[in-house]
Amino acid sequence: MALASAAVNWLKLRRLWRPSPLKRRYDTVIIGGGVHGLATAYYLARNHGIRDVAVLESHYIGFGGSGRNTAIVRANQRTAENVRLYDEGLKLWRVLTDELDFNLMFFNCGSLLLGHSEASTGAFRMAASTHNFMGVHSELLDPQQCAEVIPGLDISDRPRFPIQAGLYHPPGGIVRHDAVVWGLAKGAAARGVHIHQGCDVRGIKTDAGRVTGVRTSLGDIGCNRLGIMAGGYSTAIAAILGIELPIHPLTIQAMVTHPLKPFLHHVFSSTAYHVYANQTLKGEIATGAHMDPQVNYTTDATAYYLKHQAEALVELMPALRGVRFMRIWAGLADMTPDMAPIMEGNLGWDGLYLDAGWGYFGFKSGPVAGKYMAEYMATGERPEMLKAFQLKRFLENRYSGETPAVMKYGHWD
Amino acid sequence: MTFRLTCPVCGKRDVYEFTFGGQERGPRPAQEGLSAEEHFRWVQFRLIPGGCETREEGASRADVREPLQEEWWYHGQGCGVWFTTTRDPMTNREVEGGGGG
Repeated sequence: MALASAAVNWLKLRRLWRPSPLKRRYDTVIIGGGVHGLATAYYLARNHGIRDVAVLESHYIGFGGSGRNTAIVRANQRTAENVRLYDEGLKLWRVLTDELDFNLMFFNCGSLLLGHSEASTGAFRMAASTHNFMGVHSELLDPQQCAEVIPGLDISDRPRFPIQAGLYHPPGGIVRHDAVVWGLAKGAAARGVHIHQGCDVRGIKTDAGRVTGVRTSLGDIGCNRLGIMAGGYSTAIAAILGIELPIHPLTIQAMVTHPLKPFLHHVFSSTAYHVYANQTLKGEIATGAHMDPQVNYTTDATAYYLKHQAEALVELMPALRGVRFMRIWAGLADMTPDMAPIMEGNLGWDGLYLDAGWGYFGFKSGPVAGKYMAEYMATGERPEMLKAFQLKRFLENRYSGETPAVMKYGHWD
Repeated sequence: MTFRLTCPVCGKRDVYEFTFGGQERGPRPAQEGLSAEEHFRWVQFRLIPGGCETREEGASRADVREPLQEEWWYHGQGCGVWFTTTRDPMTNREVEGGGGG
């Protein structure tokens, strides 16, 4: 009996955060219990003393993109405005591990992006110059140097698209994505934030040009400020208010092989093969990158991409032939035309904030986006860091030049 | 799960034979008097409802689009025809009888 109650106490002590009673009104309501929503709530409470905050999550925290990405973090974006933001984000993992008193398992293994054409080699040279100018460590490698970094790579002429160059970025790595969600929930809840899981937003209430609350599956909740931070579902939430956005929610697939002995000590990705891969701390090769081109809100995985991914991986790293995939899953990526996010305040209605369009950069940017969105929501003033990410850039033909940083994701462009 | 689309020429075929051509946006706005902003809005901005309820104040139900989406597809690995069909982004399936337009 004593043993049983000791076990119960131990379990109680191990809980990171506890459910809170649902109040009918909060100062600030955030839609989306992923990395972005939880980070915003955490920083609202920590940096700005705004603790009357609710995070509404329709499933469980980390159900969406936060728990479905391949956990890669890096700061080798294309443009200076983006590099600056992601660089600060990359430096936050160590700080947060300490601040949250929770091991986020940041594995600083570095990443290597492979290029297979003269055009990508030129793009890498430009990108590396931008990174170095911004103080971010990044260097251009030739194929031989790529093979020295990752010995398993096939740098011969045998693959359909032979490796011609590499963009090596030592500050990058992998972070345990679930730990980030749990750690931020712990930190936010400890500062008074209420996290409500299973709370599905069905309507947004407005009055005289202001947001006044949300209608949810758990009843109406009033608020002064509302943040839409629902990842791939943000377009669906915005559609409630009739807000048109230049965002396509697309399904992106990822998969893991069975566990192998440690042999791959860096993240690698490839432009021509549309692949990124890393070996997790459990030994699996986690790999992904494929996007179905049609707009949808499902997380369907397909045999088509499973096969495609296997072919691409074996081309790049022939030793993987015969390794089996163990699991496949999918998540949503909210793609903007220029691959840069949209961070807006007082969007059509006073008190309405939007943090969306992160595409497949949503995980690595989560904490830093939360930090600046919290500042934006707390002060009502757009932080200098977010000036480059306004929605109106799409109406003024001032697109961010981020597109060369990643692969083509659709067929219509 | 993959799914099939109805090509007006070839009938039901695997979706990976097709190229997605985007949401049907209606006719291109007339060039006369078209501001840059209106043009960019027409090119890039979309409403993609996700089946959430509508807001009560200020918008009647008729203002808000149903999640069903009319869209363009190109049968690149088949007969090469461009056509429109209706698909539900909530289920990622073509609506029965939606194809062949």
